[in-house]
Amino acid sequence: MNEWTNTDRGPDPLPSSLPGPTAPGLGEPQAEVEETLKRIQSHKGVIGTMVVNAEGIPIRTTLDNSTTVQYAGLLHHLTMKAKSTVRDIDPQNDLTFLRIRSKKHEIMVAPDKEYLLIVIQNPCE
Amino acid sequence: TATRAQSGLLERAGSAGVAVLATGGVASGPGPGRPGPLQDETLGVASVPSQWRAVQGIREETKSCQTASIATANASAQARNHVDAQVQTEAPVPVSVQPLSRYDVPRLAAFLRRVEAMVIRELNKNWQSHAFDGFEVNWTEQQQMVSCLYTLGYPPAQAQGLHVTGISWNSTGSVVACAYGRLDHGDWSTLKSFVCAWNLDRRGLSPRQPSAVVEVPSAVLCLAFHPTQPSHVAGGLYSGEVLVWDLSRPEDPLLWRTGLTDDTHTDPVSQVAWLPEPEHSHRFQVLSIATDGKVLLWRGVGAGQLQLTEGFALVMQQLPRSTKLKKHPRGETEVGATAVAFSSFDPRLFILGTEGGFPLKCSLAAGEAALTRMPSSVPLRAPAQFTFSPHGGPIYAVSCSPFHRNLFLSAGTDGHVHLYSMLQAPPLTSLQLSLKYLFAVRWSPVRPLVFAAASGEGDVQLFDLQKSSQKPTVLIKQTQDESPVYCLEFNSQQTQLLAAGDAQGTVKVWQLSTEFTEQGPREAEDLDLLAAEVAT
Repeated sequence: MNEWTNTDRGPDPLPSSLPGPTAPGLGEPQAEVEETLKRIQSHKGVIGTMVVNAEGIPIRTTLDNSTTVQYAGLLHHLTMKAKSTVRDIDPQNDLTFLRIRSKKHEIMVAPDKEYLLIVIQNPCE
Repeated sequence: TATRAQSGLLERAGSAGVAVLATGGVASGPGPGRPGPLQDETLGVASVPSQWRAVQGIREETKSCQTASIATANASAQARNHVDAQVQTEAPVPVSVQPLSRYDVPRLAAFLRRVEAMVIRELNKNWQSHAFDGFEVNWTEQQQMVSCLYTLGYPPAQAQGLHVTGISWNSTGSVVACAYGRLDHGDWSTLKSFVCAWNLDRRGLSPRQPSAVVEVPSAVLCLAFHPTQPSHVAGGLYSGEVLVWDLSRPEDPLLWRTGLTDDTHTDPVSQVAWLPEPEHSHRFQVLSIATDGKVLLWRGVGAGQLQLTEGFALVMQQLPRSTKLKKHPRGETEVGATAVAFSSFDPRLFILGTEGGFPLKCSLAAGEAALTRMPSSVPLRAPAQFTFSPHGGPIYAVSCSPFHRNLFLSAGTDGHVHLYSMLQAPPLTSLQLSLKYLFAVRWSPVRPLVFAAASGEGDVQLFDLQKSSQKPTVLIKQTQDESPVYCLEFNSQQTQLLAAGDAQGTVKVWQLSTEFTEQGPREAEDLDLLAAEVAT
């Protein structure tokens, strides 16, 4: 007989926006991360900022959970595709930056080996 | 013997037999055995074989044929192996933002250090760039003109001279239903009317034959489809009742009715709407408003009865004095409600249009009791929180913007459309669209700056506030003899469709041009600017 088990675990809790209690010796990088993200977020016209890890899972965000997850999954795929496109055309080349312009705003992705920085800006013309 | 010999000659002769006979008899003279002259002689019979084909006989040959025997063979097949498989979907585990483990923080900091400068540079460049000014891409085929897709009507209703009084699209956007009634009655009537629905996605759509028809004992004045159930529709009657039908059951469509109790409206129902229940948002209640001043919330309980759950009453005395009204309240005069629109941003906030021409901002959460003597099983409350500046006549339609929380439109018998902001009493702008009455006004569900209005002159006017704030961008003539257009609705699923119903009993489904269905680049901001023009 087949047995079906319910593997639903429930959602993980969202990290708070304030930096949590930091371990000794990690205060500086943590604060630096928060400050950098705050600087980018407060730039003119920026709607949202998020950092996504190599598996496409968001680790820092200024938007709500469902929007973040959607952006992270879709842009991770797109960035990998763009990267492989560039490498296929010229193996000596590599992707440095990805910008998508849409009717309502512009999405900028800064890729890296381990992380992706995604910034959504509403350019005022 | 001579006779016999001659017979033998004759037999062998065939066709020359007659001649031989003639010569044979004469040539031989008298002799022994032969009779002499003038003596009887018996001659043999001469016969001529017949030349007729029938006597000669048909040449016959016998032949036979036979099919070869059919070869049959028996073979059997059987599947010996089978595999059982089962599939079950698991609820997707919601991916959420993961907290960063302590070991990753330095790496993240290093990454951000690397990319920050580049990102800031790009953000700055973007802010100042003019590279994309005026650059627009066409992804869909452009439709230049507004065209009439369907002209629908129900001949028995049109023969009685009924008007289309209410129109509604269902939750999937494929069925349009219309209510027949008359809007120019002065007194009580027992006119039978109809609710008809056409399924536009069905093949073989017949414009004169609705896919569902419900006969109603009284004139139906308004109609609203259920937000999630594609076949449930609520209607308000001239008698003050509210009925809910299920159009997928042709033999007995009536689901719920209010009946004629103390709670029912005592005046014709102006508008019905569906609201989500506060605790269970997948269940819905019906809201009905009428010119007797009551706003009632009904819920369907078993056995087809709609029961009153909450009620509000508008009394002149209790209206907030935010603007100077011409009428001075005397006693408990009721204020007739003629139109209702709910805010898309706050589900408890709604705007009521009244017979006195002033819109009211109301809330379902209002607690003050209404000073009215109307009997009711549920205590009636006063919902009004703010009164806006009045029109020159009763309001027939209000519509809240789906894109901005403070903007709403109202239209009435003075032929003007007012654009109000909920933050102030006088309207932001007032447009005269018609010299006759305006019966309906609706915001477009996709373009923040577009709205449509139905006028008493028989046309549907489409306004694009981005292009011109003085005159309509497109004027669609619905009726040829200038009989009024009473109702119109945008289709929120198929956003290029607009349905409008007129006094001749026809519903026309218009296909809008692409400019009305695609948002421009900066429309939401322009709408915000418009809303921010608060008069000082």
